[in-house]
Amino acid sequence: MQIGLRQRQQHHIVEVHADGSGYRLHYDGREYRVEASTTPDGAQLLIIDGQRHLVDLVRSGRQCLVAVGGETYRFDPESAVAGGHEVGTVAVPEITAPMPGKVTQVLVKSGDQVIAGDGLLILEAMKMENRLVAEANGTVTDVRVAVGDMVDGGQVLVVVRYVE
Amino acid sequence: MFAKVLIANRGEIAVRIARACRELGIRSVAVYSEADAHAPHVLRADEAILLGPAQSQQSYLDIGKVIAAAKDSGAEAIHPGYGFLAENAGFARAVVDAGLIFIGPTPEVVAGMGDKTNARRLAAASGVPVVPAEEDPPHDIDGLTKSAGVIGYPLLIKAAAGGGGKGMRVVRSPAELAAAFESAGREAKNAFGDGRLFLERYIDRPRHVEVQVLADHHGNVVHLGERECSIQRRHQKIVEETPSPAVDEDLRRRMTDAACAVSRRVGYRGAGTVEFLLGPDCQFYFLEMNTRLQVEHPITELVSGIDLVQAQLRVAAGEPLWFRQNEIDARGHAIECRICAEDPAQQFLPSPGPILRLREPHGPGIRVDSGIAEGYEVPIHYDPMLAKISVWGETRDAARRRMLGALTEYVILGCTTAIPFLLDVLEHPAFIKGDTHTHFIDEHLRGWKAREDHQIVALVAAALDAARPQRGVVSSATAAAPAAQTTPWASLGSWRLGNG
Repeated sequence: MQIGLRQRQQHHIVEVHADGSGYRLHYDGREYRVEASTTPDGAQLLIIDGQRHLVDLVRSGRQCLVAVGGETYRFDPESAVAGGHEVGTVAVPEITAPMPGKVTQVLVKSGDQVIAGDGLLILEAMKMENRLVAEANGTVTDVRVAVGDMVDGGQVLVVVRYVE
Repeated sequence: MFAKVLIANRGEIAVRIARACRELGIRSVAVYSEADAHAPHVLRADEAILLGPAQSQQSYLDIGKVIAAAKDSGAEAIHPGYGFLAENAGFARAVVDAGLIFIGPTPEVVAGMGDKTNARRLAAASGVPVVPAEEDPPHDIDGLTKSAGVIGYPLLIKAAAGGGGKGMRVVRSPAELAAAFESAGREAKNAFGDGRLFLERYIDRPRHVEVQVLADHHGNVVHLGERECSIQRRHQKIVEETPSPAVDEDLRRRMTDAACAVSRRVGYRGAGTVEFLLGPDCQFYFLEMNTRLQVEHPITELVSGIDLVQAQLRVAAGEPLWFRQNEIDARGHAIECRICAEDPAQQFLPSPGPILRLREPHGPGIRVDSGIAEGYEVPIHYDPMLAKISVWGETRDAARRRMLGALTEYVILGCTTAIPFLLDVLEHPAFIKGDTHTHFIDEHLRGWKAREDHQIVALVAAALDAARPQRGVVSSATAAAPAAQTTPWASLGSWRLGNG
């Protein structure tokens, strides 16, 4: 079967086939032979083309989090058909909170012209001030928070109409 | 010795202090906020007292509540740890006034050293070199610009009342001055309740080298060598080591003499740290004195064999130091890495979240001081440091290799940490050579991205996991679901984990 996985802006398609006690995987034009087992304490021992790897994997909502060799990876499952191409980076008009926190300063109001790098507001989380800035030149069309508001990670704070 | 001590802190340091208490036969009393009811530091202590809501101002920073908790529990002394009230002279004074013992120097010394401008004067008076600075800059923009011009750019704005990078800004040109001054003042006010700032000349590419001192009530002052803490981001240390690769016997003697001179002059007692900037020309300048235990104290413990927290407790109880300077011997090399909930690929933005899987490294010469547990939610209200690893090795390179192994074994899933970044720091040729300074990260690792050496392995694991349920073989490893009902995030309303 085909598995689609998104990792930030990268889309991966992996083909998985059962093969005796293990699996054959196809990814990016290569075949991998994999033996997989779960250890008593919940880790996974993967033997990929004869190489042993101890991996930890948990789900967080739909996301799949993987730790291996001091690195961590975050994958979102997605339809395998949609993948295969890079998503370009464009300025996103909705400025969202990168983490939960408290708005300590709002630096713009609706109608303000901003240029790339201008501060929009200051969000305090974990005792640090984080300045959210305009990604490109444009006009502020909506400010949805006020000083003192507690905001969630991902919440839309300011909307900017960017000019090309 | 005390029968009972209250620990006015949270996280790994509160756990560390509770362990020292247990080893000395002292009962420990934890305090906690509503966000920390089941935090490791609460579970490790013999008793625990709720202070109040999650916000620090209403819990860990509320002097009245902390002192009331100490009185109610019958504790004789309060250990402040680091951060929070540890360098708050008003707190130290209130502890003493309540008839309790503050585990640290006198309130006068905390006040004297906590005020950075006063600390500079004391250091200079002790014959220790200081960096050119303006101690009380005018607040109007013209006056401020003039003061800054006298010191010269680049310059550093620092909070008069604090440390740890809060309220600190580097200003490289007059155009940046006003905005930086205002923002630093606000941050200082939030972090320390005191928005006063001072300006000083910024020494380019310095090393941060500090000396650990220990003093008792009987006039004995000793030092336990230096630590180098040059690897910093946002002016916060993330890798520390001892000894410093830049300090030879002669320089060590001069720096430790200076640290002891300052400590003697102010009548210091307990554990303290005198911080210096060490220029590329091997000139050193007094930076500040931290009148408390440092985050990075374990590396000194590893090379000296002296338990600094036990020493603090014994000295505070009135015991004279039980060793002389010439009996202290540093052996081998130690390195510490701080493990924080932050994303190194995104300017170290805090990355709070649930700890869905935790495996700490073990092995010879590896020590983990941790304030988290599997299933625990990292609250947004406090410092993002989760834990720290310290390793000991016979040589610097042996310690470095041991740390690489330990970091590779460390598994934290659920919130992002800088472990892959720390691996790259330790493997950087400049670090291997000991060519470290406080701009190391900016100079060598700016725009850092994860190498993702194990991407194929991770992809294989994730693809098999996604394929398995359809094949009717549900792996037990996928069963860990976030425990939404236990989150301390209730005040944040609709916050949820993942996409449910």
